[in-house]
Amino acid sequence: MKPGGMRLPRGFWRLFALPGVLWLVAFFVVPFYAIAAVAMGRLDPLFGTSAPVWNPIEWDTTILTDVLSDIAGGGIFQTVFFRTCLYVVIAVAMCLLIGYPVAYYIARHGGRLKVLLLLLVIAPFWINYLMRMLAWINVLQDDGYVNRILMFVGLLDAPRSWLDGQPSTVVLGLVYGYIPFLILPLYAALDRIDQRLIEAARDLGASSWRAFTKVTLPLSKQGILAGSVIITLPMFGDYYTPDLLSQSPRTSMFGNQIDFFIHSGTGEATGATLALVLSGFVSLLMIYYLVSVARSSREASS
Amino acid sequence: MPTHRRSGGWGRRSIDRRQFLKETAGTAVAVSSLGALMAACGNDGSPSRSVAAIEVASPENPVTLDLFDDNPSIDSGLEPEAGPLRIFNWSEYIWLRVVKDFEEEFGVEVEITTFQNMSEGVAKLRAGGTDFDVFFPTIDQVPKLVAAKLLQPLNLSYVPNLKANVWPDLVDPFYDQGSRYTVPYTTYTTGVAYRTDMVSEDVGSRTNPYDIFWDSQYSGKVGIYDDYREVMSMIMLRNGHTDINTGDPEILEETKQDLLSLIDDVRVKTTIDGAYSGLPEGKFAVHQAWSGDMIASPFYMPRGEDPSVLRYWTPPDGRGSVGNDLISIPRSSQNPVLAHLFLNYMLDNDVAFKNFSWNGYQPPITAMDPATLVSDGYVLETLESAIVLPQNVSRGYRQLALLPEVDARWQSIWSEFKAGA
Repeated sequence: MKPGGMRLPRGFWRLFALPGVLWLVAFFVVPFYAIAAVAMGRLDPLFGTSAPVWNPIEWDTTILTDVLSDIAGGGIFQTVFFRTCLYVVIAVAMCLLIGYPVAYYIARHGGRLKVLLLLLVIAPFWINYLMRMLAWINVLQDDGYVNRILMFVGLLDAPRSWLDGQPSTVVLGLVYGYIPFLILPLYAALDRIDQRLIEAARDLGASSWRAFTKVTLPLSKQGILAGSVIITLPMFGDYYTPDLLSQSPRTSMFGNQIDFFIHSGTGEATGATLALVLSGFVSLLMIYYLVSVARSSREASS
Repeated sequence: MPTHRRSGGWGRRSIDRRQFLKETAGTAVAVSSLGALMAACGNDGSPSRSVAAIEVASPENPVTLDLFDDNPSIDSGLEPEAGPLRIFNWSEYIWLRVVKDFEEEFGVEVEITTFQNMSEGVAKLRAGGTDFDVFFPTIDQVPKLVAAKLLQPLNLSYVPNLKANVWPDLVDPFYDQGSRYTVPYTTYTTGVAYRTDMVSEDVGSRTNPYDIFWDSQYSGKVGIYDDYREVMSMIMLRNGHTDINTGDPEILEETKQDLLSLIDDVRVKTTIDGAYSGLPEGKFAVHQAWSGDMIASPFYMPRGEDPSVLRYWTPPDGRGSVGNDLISIPRSSQNPVLAHLFLNYMLDNDVAFKNFSWNGYQPPITAMDPATLVSDGYVLETLESAIVLPQNVSRGYRQLALLPEVDARWQSIWSEFKAGA
């Protein structure tokens, strides 16, 4: 208590959380509840469209159980779900492989150019995602620059068709779209590492590589986790990367399924159910992340 | 319900003389579309439990839509209101210049609201927030809209152009005998579009031209519409089944196998703009097409390229898929007399020609002689097969409303295809 200061009521500072809480309730809890109300709602008898049911007691869980058993039991949703997981895992791995060195370089060796380099990493984001993907379509055409350069260099004999339902193109699109979201938190984490710790390791006889693996890498673990979470969650729901870079059902991701059902007129409840299932799955990942953060901060403070 | 050829899902890519980019569906996946449902929750969705069974109209089973006492048409001889006239249409389906001419002729303002697919349009109409004066439904929605009393019956004394200018088959159509609630807007056929510089054969001379979609020599360059009704009915026609609204399990199974084989055999792509945009750009060699898309397609050819490579095939005796769109007046219209006059205006010969020159989709106007459409420059000579003939309407096969169980089976086949499973 500050001497001579005003006595503030208990919980005064907690009130500052109020705008955030209201925001979360209005823009997260309520829409989420609306999705659940549609997923477990009823069909309008005349138009066949889904109508939300607001009272949880009246919720009809048949579609939810159907979808879950489909995912568990090898149905079409399971195929899409596994495919999405595969793409996301590969994309996140590639993002880390490419993004970590970039973040490391900027943090540890950027020097005076640090701000400029960060700016260059963020610069593509001044143009929105859709436009950048359209640019990629242009570049990946049969007679586009990618094919031309690869053929000129000799890596390709004939133009490769990048856009006809290739999973590799979709994964590359995901990597391209989300990698800056990984680089920035990773950079922040790496930047925070005390230079003296690394110097101490070197002084104690560690080679550069061992200093990296034993000191830098473990200390950046939280950054890796944070960056991975930031990109993994939206990647699961991504639907316009496959939609733009390959309009083929071969690369259909979970987000495409949600989009398809929501717009199908009579399948809105299924689409809402899929959205719920995706949210549930992604929440599990989120909980893992939060637990891990809590545990590591407890370790750090103890 | 079927997606319409103008439905864009997340957004169409339009270039050239039409707007460049429509709104993107953005990053909100499921939640954004829930807004419409939240609005609908005010009415709690259903207007009533349907007591009368909705009859499925077909050319063999013409249907006269019911009139209700509590939903009367307007009286004759009234003066038009001051407006503004609110049009609710597919996006980019009516030429703004034509709308502007209406504004000048009648001295009123017109506001256009658009929808991307029929379910969005119907949902908004049911939500009742805005009082639209003109609405463009599809044939399969009309019985439901009439039963829900969302459309008002027409007073045809305001619409003399209907009997005067329109094809007789569509003045008294099977889906709305006596044109009680609707007038026709455009007609179209569904066929196969291809480029002669990428397809060296004459598609029409094949024994079964539809087979070209499964021809692996065009692998990677084949497109079909992202519309389960269009694609599955095309497969049924390919296999010789003329009932393209069937629920027969054997036919559906055969259709499903053919559909799934497209994924790996030709690496098929599903689009909604592939015919008028992707094909001229060279992204496709073969694409399923609506006749209206092909008539408009020369305008999407990249500069300097020759549009005469674009071709369209549809069964020459008219025995292919045919359809037409409608104009109607919602019950809650605040300017019903003006709306009727708008319907009459759209069926005027000059206006119809003008709209056609931009739209590409052919209005069923008798003055529109297929023979002169080419010589007058409305249609490229190489795309003459995209002109819809009056006899197509009676001879062609219609995509009609499906019974819910049948629709569910169609949709589950389509969703299996879309999942790439």
